[in-house]
Amino acid sequence: MTIENDSPAVLRDNADVAAALGRRYEAGFITDIETDSLPPGLSEDIVRQLSALKGEPEWMTEWRLKAYRHWLTMPTPHWAKLNIGAIDFQAISYYASPKNRPKSLDDVDPKLLEAYDKLGVPLHERAKLAGVAVDAVFDSVSVGTTFRKELAEVGVIFCSMSEAIREYPELVQKYLGSVVPTGDNYFAALNSAVFSDGSFVFIPKGVRCPMELSTYFRINAGHTGQFERTLIIAEEGAYVSYLEGCTAPMRDENQLHAAVVELVALEKANIKYSTVQNWYPGDEEGRGGIYNFVTKRGDCRGDDSKISWTQVETGSAITWKYPSCVLRGDRSVGEFYSVALTHHRQQADTGTKMIHIGKGTKSKIVSKGISAGRSSNSYRGLVKVEKGAEGARNYTQCDSLLIGKKCGAHTFPYMEVKNPTAIVEHEATTSKISDDQLFYCRSRGIGEEDAVSMIVDGFCKQVFRELPMEFAVEAKKLLEISLEGAVG
Amino acid sequence: MSQSPAPVPFVDGLRAAADLRLPGSGHAWLDAARRENLDAFIAAGLPDTRAEAWKYTALRALSQRRFAWGDHTATSRAIDPKILTLPGVDGPRLVFVNGVFRADLSRLDTLPAGLTLQPLSQVLEQDPEPLRFALSRHYREASDAFARLNAALAGDGVVLRVAAGARIGKPVHLCFVGASADGDLAWHARNVIELGEGAELDLVEHHLSNAPQKHLATLVSDIVLQDRAKLQHMVLQHASEDSTLIRHGSLHMGAKSHAALHVLELGGGLVRHDVHAELRGDEARLDTRGVFVLRGRQHVDTQLAIRHQALNTASESIWRGVADERARGVFRGAIVVAQGADGSDASLSNKNLLLSSQAEIDTKPELEIYADEVKAAHGATVGQLDERALFYLRSRGLPHAEARALLTTAFCRAVFASLPNETLREHFSSALLAHLP
Repeated sequence: MTIENDSPAVLRDNADVAAALGRRYEAGFITDIETDSLPPGLSEDIVRQLSALKGEPEWMTEWRLKAYRHWLTMPTPHWAKLNIGAIDFQAISYYASPKNRPKSLDDVDPKLLEAYDKLGVPLHERAKLAGVAVDAVFDSVSVGTTFRKELAEVGVIFCSMSEAIREYPELVQKYLGSVVPTGDNYFAALNSAVFSDGSFVFIPKGVRCPMELSTYFRINAGHTGQFERTLIIAEEGAYVSYLEGCTAPMRDENQLHAAVVELVALEKANIKYSTVQNWYPGDEEGRGGIYNFVTKRGDCRGDDSKISWTQVETGSAITWKYPSCVLRGDRSVGEFYSVALTHHRQQADTGTKMIHIGKGTKSKIVSKGISAGRSSNSYRGLVKVEKGAEGARNYTQCDSLLIGKKCGAHTFPYMEVKNPTAIVEHEATTSKISDDQLFYCRSRGIGEEDAVSMIVDGFCKQVFRELPMEFAVEAKKLLEISLEGAVG
Repeated sequence: MSQSPAPVPFVDGLRAAADLRLPGSGHAWLDAARRENLDAFIAAGLPDTRAEAWKYTALRALSQRRFAWGDHTATSRAIDPKILTLPGVDGPRLVFVNGVFRADLSRLDTLPAGLTLQPLSQVLEQDPEPLRFALSRHYREASDAFARLNAALAGDGVVLRVAAGARIGKPVHLCFVGASADGDLAWHARNVIELGEGAELDLVEHHLSNAPQKHLATLVSDIVLQDRAKLQHMVLQHASEDSTLIRHGSLHMGAKSHAALHVLELGGGLVRHDVHAELRGDEARLDTRGVFVLRGRQHVDTQLAIRHQALNTASESIWRGVADERARGVFRGAIVVAQGADGSDASLSNKNLLLSSQAEIDTKPELEIYADEVKAAHGATVGQLDERALFYLRSRGLPHAEARALLTTAFCRAVFASLPNETLREHFSSALLAHLP
């Protein structure tokens, strides 16, 4: 049984099998390919080695070292409502790359392609059919970017971060760390020091990116962490929609994923960033699973720009993630749509920050949390209206759904308003699936599990409709799989 | 987190307070508890804004000040008794001036049956043993720093008991007056209140001051409601705009008990109000209502923490805030539904008006839910007066200021609609209106 969560047809075929097997992590296979990795441990030498291994210029090495030195001075954060076991940063290998470095997509290790195939990533041929350009990051290294030529014709740069550092140093130097500074927070500092790869996107002035761009992340090797760095720049009037998906194999240990994503939207630019996060959540007793500590931030630098985050979070043992928007430009718009599902012993502390600085800025937050089993699911958000943000407007809606008696659903919204023309609204509810709703469905011949997934689907609809189509299908299915065994 | 590397005048000044002779001194357990709390407070210092509970309320300015710890002439300070009266409140009255009980201003001669009402200083001098449990309490949280200070230094306050089944017809009036003193003064009051099974009580808590000095007052109240007890608790805070007032109330509620809290905060320079309510018995119900109306450089921080711990408990909270000029209003409303507290119904609404570009509102409604048979909702808004409503009133000839005051009063009034004492309700409304610019 493998994962094929890309097409509804396959899903239907597998539905019976999946039901028979009960809930299991479907992307939990390990691909046995030779990897090159640095020995476990973290020191200035490791940072230098990593930088040398990647053939980076001097300024990049220095940038990393600066971040590393800053990281050493920082305390581990404890404010989130999470129970995090101690992380041994010396036990992690900070670099693992498939040994046979590919020259082009055709040289990519067939086993690797097979792995992506199992994951349903439309890489290579399948990409053409799906019309999605993919940058796939396997452990630490970007293995291939599809549709390079088509994108280059309109001037869009879509490549791996390492390549961008080599080929477009002036762009990287200008924008890297300008949204999330190296010392922003503990995990962002760590990422800045040891990030191995990631995606780089540059949409030039006035260009509407002709296709959806996509990255697929996968942690494969054991005892490794994944630290990718994504940087997306949309120049004046540009538009891009970017999708990100993540998986990891099943292991008993906790693996660390500390990524940083930076978005820059200049005047009238529009960036849409969608994530389906399905890292290995650990088993029913909470053994293993990914620690997903991610810093994502978008900077609406230009007037009339817009950044929209959509996320579906079903995986990871612990999620610590707050995709944010800095609404600097006048009339800029920030949006955050989120579905976070936790089951068994998963913990999630996720939400967003909307910082209103420019005049007439608007933000909208829709967050749906679903907790089942013994999990804990928190929304934590900040809406801040600075003094100069005349006429700023925010609307926040946070709903939580509880399934079972041993889980927790929490809401921690912060509102800080310094401008008297701003309007900030927050609403939150917590409830369970009502017996009335279930009875209604059951009396019409719908089985209990189907009824629950139907109700959950309706609960999340507001978020799902923000997702690109193929992602919406995947998200819906993921939710169903994740909820199996949650009722009854 | 809250170490104090450099000498902090506030804390430094406290070392001398260790030698204060307080009512009840000489009882070994009480001396030990006071000493322990004082040492703990001095060791930890004042909480800073890195502590979550003090994120929006900086105590830097306070930490740089020195206070006299106790007013020795409080019993002879002249107070005009007229300022103590409240319409609709004509029951027994206990008056404290600068934290010291004043028999001459109080009204304790004809207590209704079932009501025991005494100043704490008296109880401590006679027999403090029954209060041993309440007064030996330990405070550990950062939000409790001032409760610790209060436990160390409070020598007076209210000890109130209502016998099981007793219904006290007339409201009990507790009056805390900050009076002119020789310098900046810190005073502390400690209230221990218990309603027996099925007892009923109306309680009015009244804070006022006429002191030109910048006093610091802390008030800690422990209120226990036994099963089926009913409490109406009304608070009118009208302290002077130079004073710092820290109130910390904990409320323990038994089965089928009902408490209603109405708070009107008008005065104070720096005001912090913590309410920790625990709904411990099945079907307990708590209603909280409150308004703050701020101007000048006032800073009011209300922290509401409601914990549902039993079956079918309910809480409804409606709070309004108005901040004008350079004022800052802070609100936190945390609702926790503990595991097993099925059938809980909790709602909280916090709406705020921000009327000036120099003012600020910080609000944080929170839900922590560990049970699934629950209904929980909260909402919070920050906005301004409706331009169209203002225009409507002005087009009918109302001057701008008056139209504004009218709309602001209307915005706040809903909070007091549920106040059963009609005369007092009207007084709250007019006090509110008078406070508006």
